[in-house]
Amino acid sequence: MESYLLATLTFAGIYALLALGLNVIWGMAGMINLGMAGFFALGAYASALTTTALGLPIAAGVAAAMALAALCGGALSRLTLNLRGDYLAIVTLGFGELIRLIAANEIWLTNGSDGIPGIPGPMRADLTPLQFNALSCALVLTAVAVVWVVAERLRRSPYGRVLRALRDDDVAAAVAGKSVRRFKVQAFALGAGVLGLAGAAYAHFTSYIAPDIFRPLLTIYIFLALTAGGTGNNAGAVLGAALVIAILEGSRFVEPMIPHLNGAQGAALREILIGGTLILVMRLRPQGILAERPPEPERAAQP
Amino acid sequence: MTYYMNRRLFLGTSAAALAAPAILRAQSGPIVLGTLTPLTGVGGTYGPAMRDAMLGVVSDVNAAGGVLGREVRVVSEDTQTSPEAAVRAARKLIDVDGVAAIMGTWASSVTTAVAPLCWESQTMLMCVSGADSITELPHGGYIARTQPNSKLQIRVAGEFMVEESATSMAWIGPQTPFAASSIEILEEIAAGAGGGMESLIYEADKSTYRSEVDQILRGNPDFVMLGGYAADSTVLLRDIWQAGYEGRIIGPAYAVNASVVETLPVEVLEGVFTWEGAPAVESAAYADVQRILGVEDVDPYSAQTYDHMSLAILAMAAAGEATGAAIRDTLRTVSQGQGEVVESAVAGLAALGEAVDYQGASGPCDFDEIGDITGTQFVFKRIEGGAPSVYKRV
Repeated sequence: MESYLLATLTFAGIYALLALGLNVIWGMAGMINLGMAGFFALGAYASALTTTALGLPIAAGVAAAMALAALCGGALSRLTLNLRGDYLAIVTLGFGELIRLIAANEIWLTNGSDGIPGIPGPMRADLTPLQFNALSCALVLTAVAVVWVVAERLRRSPYGRVLRALRDDDVAAAVAGKSVRRFKVQAFALGAGVLGLAGAAYAHFTSYIAPDIFRPLLTIYIFLALTAGGTGNNAGAVLGAALVIAILEGSRFVEPMIPHLNGAQGAALREILIGGTLILVMRLRPQGILAERPPEPERAAQP
Repeated sequence: MTYYMNRRLFLGTSAAALAAPAILRAQSGPIVLGTLTPLTGVGGTYGPAMRDAMLGVVSDVNAAGGVLGREVRVVSEDTQTSPEAAVRAARKLIDVDGVAAIMGTWASSVTTAVAPLCWESQTMLMCVSGADSITELPHGGYIARTQPNSKLQIRVAGEFMVEESATSMAWIGPQTPFAASSIEILEEIAAGAGGGMESLIYEADKSTYRSEVDQILRGNPDFVMLGGYAADSTVLLRDIWQAGYEGRIIGPAYAVNASVVETLPVEVLEGVFTWEGAPAVESAAYADVQRILGVEDVDPYSAQTYDHMSLAILAMAAAGEATGAAIRDTLRTVSQGQGEVVESAVAGLAALGEAVDYQGASGPCDFDEIGDITGTQFVFKRIEGGAPSVYKRV
């Protein structure tokens, strides 16, 4: 039981990292990114290949994952600067699928749809499964804490204020003398780097990655987490991720309590529960459980 | 009128709702086994019957007094045909329910994803996945599969096409763990027979494959092999027919399955060949699965999962211990050898004082040292007038 809770908490941590990364890109800077799974995949593959094919330590893999994802995120946002709303959504969705298809078809690099097994985890060989899960949990939660602190400082800083300005009206921000292009590219790269970190964490925790993992369903779960938690609010992102995992996992224990369900009905019920919860949250609290509260503007000193 | 629930109330009620299921059951009495089949997602057409076949075995065994004097309890989880979801489900089966075995994983990527969890915590994993790489993992005996590996399946079908005097073959399918090796094997067989071979890998889950079909038919192949699953094969067969193709088509029985035959018009399917590892249709085990599922035609995966459950139960009974390690150690003692032939878990349990040799619904169920199935026979069928009839056995 402890092992399961620790593993679930680790997954919640990975989802939280994804939600935090997405929050920088979408929640703070207002750029919709449906290619989230693509950046997650980039990070996972970068770290997996660095540690298995090149034999470098896990820390190097994680660094490579963040760097590659950030680089691609920056490049993608540079290419799509003039797109917003639906159009940006379509392009980023295409990007996510592109990465998955490359992973499935460039067999020489990624081992195709067989995936990459045997990715090393920190001290995995020396620990029992329970100890390993505890260590992974501690590491991932530490990463969540660090990213949260950084994202929170970002949000409260003048930089975060510019991002909010871009999100709400980028023409006005440009008129106020802010370089819209530079801020957008930076914010996208920063968020993508966090998504890459989540990918690396996933790869080293589960030891196996394959293109099937990076289907758009995951992107939907994370959007759900962020919308339910509160777009633009870092605590909301983490809370939303925890909530999604709690529903995904908690529904396993609800299902056997309902009599006369066959397997397919039970599975369908779980999906209904997830969709229903989102509708409920959106009905009752459209701004998310924790609404965004922009930091109070500093008052000018009284003369 | 708009109503906003305040945050504190919202958090409070949601916490209460989530805490409710935490009233967990923790028993040590029954033996717990896990099924992990695809109930939703791409594999959702197969998973429910696979699970029901296993539940049927267990209810028979429990009615006959259980195993080692204990009742058998089954916990079922859904892979969602996603490795990520399957890993979470497997963790729950292993850590919360403490299952001795996980049975019925279907997609190869799902099996590969849950495999390390299983061997690290000494849990047996029995799957119906075909990717060659699965049994090459360092699993220490904790993986056994009842599906012949993909190389063997393709080789058998390739040789069949040559015997049916095909000179130019074509393979069309989505990117899967066995796509590349399928093409390689067919090219080798075609070259050996002095014929040509074309191949095309497409993107799965499309609603039409018209351009792909045009491309593959350009070389005028006289035999086309389908490499996908039921959903894309339905679309593909329709598009090939509409393109006016005159040659022959062959597809694996799991792709051109009963639901596909039901969906498509008779003329589209006329003359299409299917092949599969021959389920032992004459056996008592097969009749047992027919009874459990209440169907005439048992799909190959349900036949296999029936065998998974029967073998796991017999192995535990033979070992006198209900653990994953015990199943690993005694699996081959009950599945092969010179013992009395038994065709169901209940018959096997009754005969167990002596050596037994389980022969299942999917075939003789003998395993080699890395967990691959051996001695599978294959059956080729031809669809005539909307119903498959046996064409040839090898």
